[in-house]
Amino acid sequence: MKIKTILILVIALSTISCNDYLDLRPPNGTVRQEFWKTKEDVQAAVIGIYSEMVSNQDFAERLFIYGELRGDMVIPGQNASDNQIFLNTTNILSTNALTDWGMFYRIINFCNTVIDLAPQVLEEDPTLDEEELEGYLSEALAIRAYLYFTLAKTFKDVPLKLDATLNDNDNFQIPTSSQEEVFLQVIEDLNQAEEYSISDYGNLAENKGRITTYAINAMQADAYLWLNDFTNALDATNKVIESGNFELIPASNSWFGTVFGEGNSSESIFELQFSDENLNSFINVFLQRAEYRASSRAVTEVFGIDRQNPENQDIRGERASIVASGAEIYKFIGLNSEQRKTTTTSNTHWFFYRYSEVLLMKAEALNELNRGEEAIAIVEEIREIREAIEITELNPAANDKTSISDYILAERSRELAFEGKRWFDVLRVARRDNYARLDLILSMALSSAPPNQQQSILNKLQDPNSHYLPINQNELYTNKQLVQNPFYN
Amino acid sequence: MKILKHKIFYIRLLLVIFCLVHSSCTNEKYKESTDETVNITEYLKNNEENYSLFLDILEISNYASFLNTYGTYTLFLPTNEAIDNYIEESGANTLEELNIENLQELVKLHILETKTFTTNFNDGKIATATMQGQFLVTGATNNEGNSSIVVNKESRIIQSNIEVGNGIIHVIDKVLPIATNTLAQEIESREELSIFTQALKETGWYDFLDQPITYDQDSISSHLSIIAQTNNVFASSGFNTYQELKNRYSNLDNPANPEDSLNLFVAYRILPGLKYVADLVTSPAHNTEAPQEVIGIKLAQDTVLINEQTFNGILEKGVPLNRDQSDITTTNGVIHLVKENFEIKKRFPYPVYFDPGDQPEIRRLASVFRIPGQNASFSQEDLQDVDWEGSNEISYRVDTPGGGTYGHGYFADVIEIHRLRDGYINNLTFTTPVIIKGTYKIWVSYRAAPSAPTNVQVYFNDEALSRQINFTEYGNTSQPERVLESQGYKIPVSPQTNRFNSRLLGIVNVESTGRHKIRFNSLSSAGQQTWIDVIEFRPIEMDQIYPRFSPNGLVEE
Repeated sequence: MKIKTILILVIALSTISCNDYLDLRPPNGTVRQEFWKTKEDVQAAVIGIYSEMVSNQDFAERLFIYGELRGDMVIPGQNASDNQIFLNTTNILSTNALTDWGMFYRIINFCNTVIDLAPQVLEEDPTLDEEELEGYLSEALAIRAYLYFTLAKTFKDVPLKLDATLNDNDNFQIPTSSQEEVFLQVIEDLNQAEEYSISDYGNLAENKGRITTYAINAMQADAYLWLNDFTNALDATNKVIESGNFELIPASNSWFGTVFGEGNSSESIFELQFSDENLNSFINVFLQRAEYRASSRAVTEVFGIDRQNPENQDIRGERASIVASGAEIYKFIGLNSEQRKTTTTSNTHWFFYRYSEVLLMKAEALNELNRGEEAIAIVEEIREIREAIEITELNPAANDKTSISDYILAERSRELAFEGKRWFDVLRVARRDNYARLDLILSMALSSAPPNQQQSILNKLQDPNSHYLPINQNELYTNKQLVQNPFYN
Repeated sequence: MKILKHKIFYIRLLLVIFCLVHSSCTNEKYKESTDETVNITEYLKNNEENYSLFLDILEISNYASFLNTYGTYTLFLPTNEAIDNYIEESGANTLEELNIENLQELVKLHILETKTFTTNFNDGKIATATMQGQFLVTGATNNEGNSSIVVNKESRIIQSNIEVGNGIIHVIDKVLPIATNTLAQEIESREELSIFTQALKETGWYDFLDQPITYDQDSISSHLSIIAQTNNVFASSGFNTYQELKNRYSNLDNPANPEDSLNLFVAYRILPGLKYVADLVTSPAHNTEAPQEVIGIKLAQDTVLINEQTFNGILEKGVPLNRDQSDITTTNGVIHLVKENFEIKKRFPYPVYFDPGDQPEIRRLASVFRIPGQNASFSQEDLQDVDWEGSNEISYRVDTPGGGTYGHGYFADVIEIHRLRDGYINNLTFTTPVIIKGTYKIWVSYRAAPSAPTNVQVYFNDEALSRQINFTEYGNTSQPERVLESQGYKIPVSPQTNRFNSRLLGIVNVESTGRHKIRFNSLSSAGQQTWIDVIEFRPIEMDQIYPRFSPNGLVEE
C-alpha cells in the first residue's frame, strides 16, 4: 500500500518538467486577462503608447536622424558617432546601429495590443461606450499608421505586423511587405482612424498632444503625396484648412518662443509633448555635446542673407532655426529668440505636423494637379507672413511645374528646417515619375559630400535602393523571412 | 524488525527517488572550444561551391595555411566565375598551367594586412598597400540603375564585410589585375599619348618614370603621379607633332637641359608621391618636379580644376582633369589625363595681405563674416587652416567700421586670442594663402593692448624671424612715417590711429609658390586678449607702407 503511494508520488514528481517547476511567473496569458477589464485599462494602454514615445528619448532623435542626416541641412557635429557620420556620407552597412528599428516595432506592438484587445472590454465594462472605444482605437490606428509610414519611407520594404504579439509562441518570422503595400495599409488604417476620430478633447494640451481628426488628415495628405494620389491629398489638406482651427501666427519677437519654445500654438497640429517631467536630449545633442550641426547650406543659402541690410531677415532663420555663428541648430533648444533652454528645461516638443506644412502639402498637390497659380499663391502667403527675404524668392511661371516644385521644396526647407522632413521631401519629389528628378538627390549630395568621397557617393545614389536604409543584421539573423535590400548585399 | 527492514527500504527508495527527481532533465553541453568563428581558409572550405578555385590558388601558391593563422587581414575574394575568366584571359585551360610566381603575386595583391571595412573606402586608394606592394583603388559605379562598390575600377564587390576570425572578406566578381608597366611603359603603350611619350624621352624624364619603387630612410616611397595629355589635347592647342611642341617651348633648343622650358613643361606635370584624384582634391596645392613650382587643385562641383585661382582680383580659369580616364595604376605611380593644355604659371612676387579672419569656414558664416557687430568662436577642429596648442577656442570679431575697439582695422575684423600664452593658447599656426616664390618682408599688424603678451616669436615655415613682436606697443603717430619704417614700425591703418601698430618681423625668401605656415609662439605671459588684424607679405622691392588698410579694404592714403 505504502509502496504504491510512494510510486504515485515518484511518478507525479518526476513528470513535472524542470522549466515549469522553476517558473515563478503566472502561466501564459493571465496578466492580459486580468488587465483588459475596465475602460481605465484601455485608457492606460493608449496613454502608454504616447508615454513610450516620450520617455524613450532616442525615438524623437531617431525621427530627426532618418529625416535630416541624409539630407543637406545637417552635418555631424564634433561628438557625432561613426554611425552618424556614415549615415551622412552614404556609407551605410547593415551593422550600423542606427538601422535598428526595434523601437518602432515596440511602439507598433503597443498599438496592436490596443487594437486587438480593447474591443473585448466593451463586454466587460458597461461604462465604456462604443464611441469612447472608437476614440481610443483611432489613436492607436493613427500612431501605428504613422510609424509604418516612417518605416516604409526609411527602409522601403518592411514586415507588416498588424496583430498583437502577446506571447512567445507568436510567429515572428514575417516576410517584408512592399513599400506600396505598406503605404496602402497606412491609408486604410488612417481612413478607419478618421472615421473613429475625436476632433476636440476639450483642452489644449490634449488637442495638440493626442491624435485628433486633423492630425489624421495631415498624415493622410502626407501619405497620399507619397502615393502620388494628389486629389485625395488635396482633399485631406482642405479638411484641416476648412476646420478653421489653425492659423499662421504673424511675425513678431515672440513668434519663435510661442511656436517652438513653448509649443502647442495655434500653428500646431500634432506634437510630441516633452515636459519638465519628460525631458528630451535636444540640448545635449544640439549644443552641449553637439552631435548635429547646421550645414553651410543651411547657414548661408536656405534663409538667404541681405548683404545691404543684414537686419532684414527671414524670421525662420537666425535665432529660430539656426544660430549662424557656430552653425548651431537652434530650433529645438531655444526658449525664445534670445535665450536657450538648459539641461533641466530641455522640453521643446517634437513637431509631427504644423499647419504650415499642411498648406505646403496642399501647394504640392495643387501643383501636381496642374493648378500652379494656386500653389504659388500659398507659397507667397507663407513667405509674406514669415518675412522671407527677396534673395530666396523665385518667380516660376504658373505652368512651369518643375520650377514650382523646386520652389515648394525650398520653402519647405525654410519652414520645416530640421523637423525631420528634408531627406523625405527631396526623396518624395525625386522618385516621382520613375525618378524623373534624381538630380535633386545628386545635387543635394554634391553640396555636402567630402571631396575625397564625392564620386563614390554620387555613384551610389544613382541606385534608388541606396535611398533606403538596410535591414539591420540582427533582424536578419532572427527573422529568416526577411530579404535584405539588394544594394546592401 | 520487519518494520525496521521496511523502514530502511523506504529510506533507500526515497533516496533513489530524490536522486531521480533532482537530476537535471538534460545534460548541460559544455563548449569545448573557445571560439567557433572560422578563419579565412576555413571559410573558403565551407563555401567551396563558390570559392574552390581561389582555395586551389592558395594551395598552389602555399598561402592556404598562412590565411588560416591568426591576424587581421582583408581578403578580396574572387568568385570561381571570376577566376575562370582570369584563366581564360591568361590563355590557359587550368590553374595548374599558370606560373606559380605570378599566382603568388596575384594572391598577395588580394590581401591587405589590416582590417579594412568598406566604410573606410573613399574615391581613391585604400590607405594600406596590399601585401604585393601595389595600392588598391576604390570607388562606386552604377550599372543600369544598380550601384556597387568597385575595386580597381572594374571588380565589383558583390558581398562585403564578411567577418571571419582573422579578418574580413569582400567578395569580388573579377580578379584584380596586377599592374606590370611602369609609368613610362604605360604611357608609351598608349597610342594617343605618343607626343607626350616623345617629350618624355627627349627631356630625359622617361628614364625617371621607368624606375622601380625605392624607399628612403624615412620609408617614404618613390611613387610618382603624372598628369599626361593626349595628342588630341595637344592638337587643340595647336601642336600636331612633337616638333611643333618643341618649337614652341624649347627655348634653349636642348630639351634635356633641366633649365629648358620644355623640360620644365614636362617636369611640371610630374608630382612626387602617389596621388590619386581623391588625394589631389584634399589639398589646394601640390609640389611638382619643376623646381619650386606647384600646381593648384580646386574642386568645382564634381570637376577637378588645375590652376584655377583668383589672382590679383582676376579669375584665372582652370583646366579640367579628365576624371573618367584618370587614376591609372602602374607599378611606380599613377597617371592622370587632362582635358586641356596647361603651362607653368610664371608669376612675380606679389604682396599678400593675409587677413587671418578670412578662413573658408568663417566665410561660410555669411551672417557673421565681416558683418559689423558679429562674432563667432571656433575650436581647433572647426578651422582646417588654423592650428594651436591648448583646448580653448579662438574668436573672430567684427567691430563697427572705423570705431569701437578694433573697428579701425582691415575690414573692421580681427582674430582674437583670449590669452596668447602657455597653458591657454600658444603656438598658433596659420596656413597662408598662396604666396609666389620670391623675397618678402613680413609685417604683422595688430590692435595694441596694455596687458597683451610682450614677447612673441614668429616662425615662418618653422624658421624663427629676426624680430619678436610686442603686442602692448601702441602705434607712433608723431614720428615721420619713413623714419618709423626704418625702425621697423608703421601705422598700418587709414585713417591713422595709434591703437593699431605694425611690426616688421624680418625678411624671408619664399622658396616655392604655394601655401606656407606662420606660427606665433608667445614667450611671455598674457593678461589680456591679443588681436591680430593682418599678416603682410610685401615683396622687398615694393613700398612697405602703402597701401594702408581701412575698414573698407586697401587705400593708398
